[in-house]
Amino acid sequence: MICLNKNEQGAELLTGYLAKTLDAAGMAEVDRHIQDCAECRGLVSVWEKLDEFAAPEVTAGFDARLYARIAAEDAHRPWWRRLLWRPAVPLVAAGALVGLGLLMVPRTPDAGKQASNMDIEQVAQAVDDMDLLTPLAQ
Amino acid sequence: MEAVAALEQDAQLMLRVGEGDDTSFALLLERHRGPVVHFLYRMVQNQAISEELAQEVFLRVYRSRSTYEPTAKFTTWLFRIATHVALNSIRDGKKEKGHESLDVEIEGMERQVADCQPTVEQEMIQNVKLREVRQAIEALPAKQRAAVLMHKYEGLDYAQIAAVLSCSESAVKSLLFRAYESLRGRLAHMA
Repeated sequence: MICLNKNEQGAELLTGYLAKTLDAAGMAEVDRHIQDCAECRGLVSVWEKLDEFAAPEVTAGFDARLYARIAAEDAHRPWWRRLLWRPAVPLVAAGALVGLGLLMVPRTPDAGKQASNMDIEQVAQAVDDMDLLTPLAQ
Repeated sequence: MEAVAALEQDAQLMLRVGEGDDTSFALLLERHRGPVVHFLYRMVQNQAISEELAQEVFLRVYRSRSTYEPTAKFTTWLFRIATHVALNSIRDGKKEKGHESLDVEIEGMERQVADCQPTVEQEMIQNVKLREVRQAIEALPAKQRAAVLMHKYEGLDYAQIAAVLSCSESAVKSLLFRAYESLRGRLAHMA
């Protein structure tokens, strides 16, 4: 009998068997093999031996310590970082875009007149941009 | 199917954390606190350090709340952070400081299972077995150790372990097999 241990496909079967992720046919195939193969049986018994390594329960104050660290971090966060709150970002970005658009309007002697006659499509576009960005903030 | 639903729920909870919902963070913490601490405990083999590292993991999760994108399963992302934190800690030699508490911890764990009233001899045998398993795991290279712990104790599949360790699935299979072979050699004498 060729040991499963000796090739990549067999090794995959064995690790799948250990984690019980094989289908019924695969489990049965490895079951049959390990009856006759001491080496593979040794590998299976390793899996069982690892059960000895239990981990202790998480200590009672874990959450309280974590929340205290979070609160301390929030308290020391610079004001500009607090503005990076997810819903605020697209709104600020939209505002900055509109502001930038207004700054880029050429300033000529009759700029005031031009501004008053600002292209209605430009305003509509800016409003549409904001509408597009708003759902991201929800 | 249930697992898929749970993963989606985790991602949804994380997105809600990003919207400022702290209750969702509490739910994620409740769900994943145990597995993360236990994984880290088996990685560094010291309870105090494992909890300190787990705090760092959940702090990083919280800090990432506004930039989180559910591109991978939440558990994969979480264990990627946990593995990164553990490997850094091992590299920085934090564990060395905690070595002295190993015996105390084993004794403490013995007391936890004292309900079934084993004899002194049984306790000693159990203690020796536990120590040997711990030493065998500790002797594995860090990446193999992480792969075995995720595979054996946390139930992550090959694809998830590959994503956590940034390697291919076939590399994970080979990593795992080498690790189990090495453990077999070290624990062969154990009855």
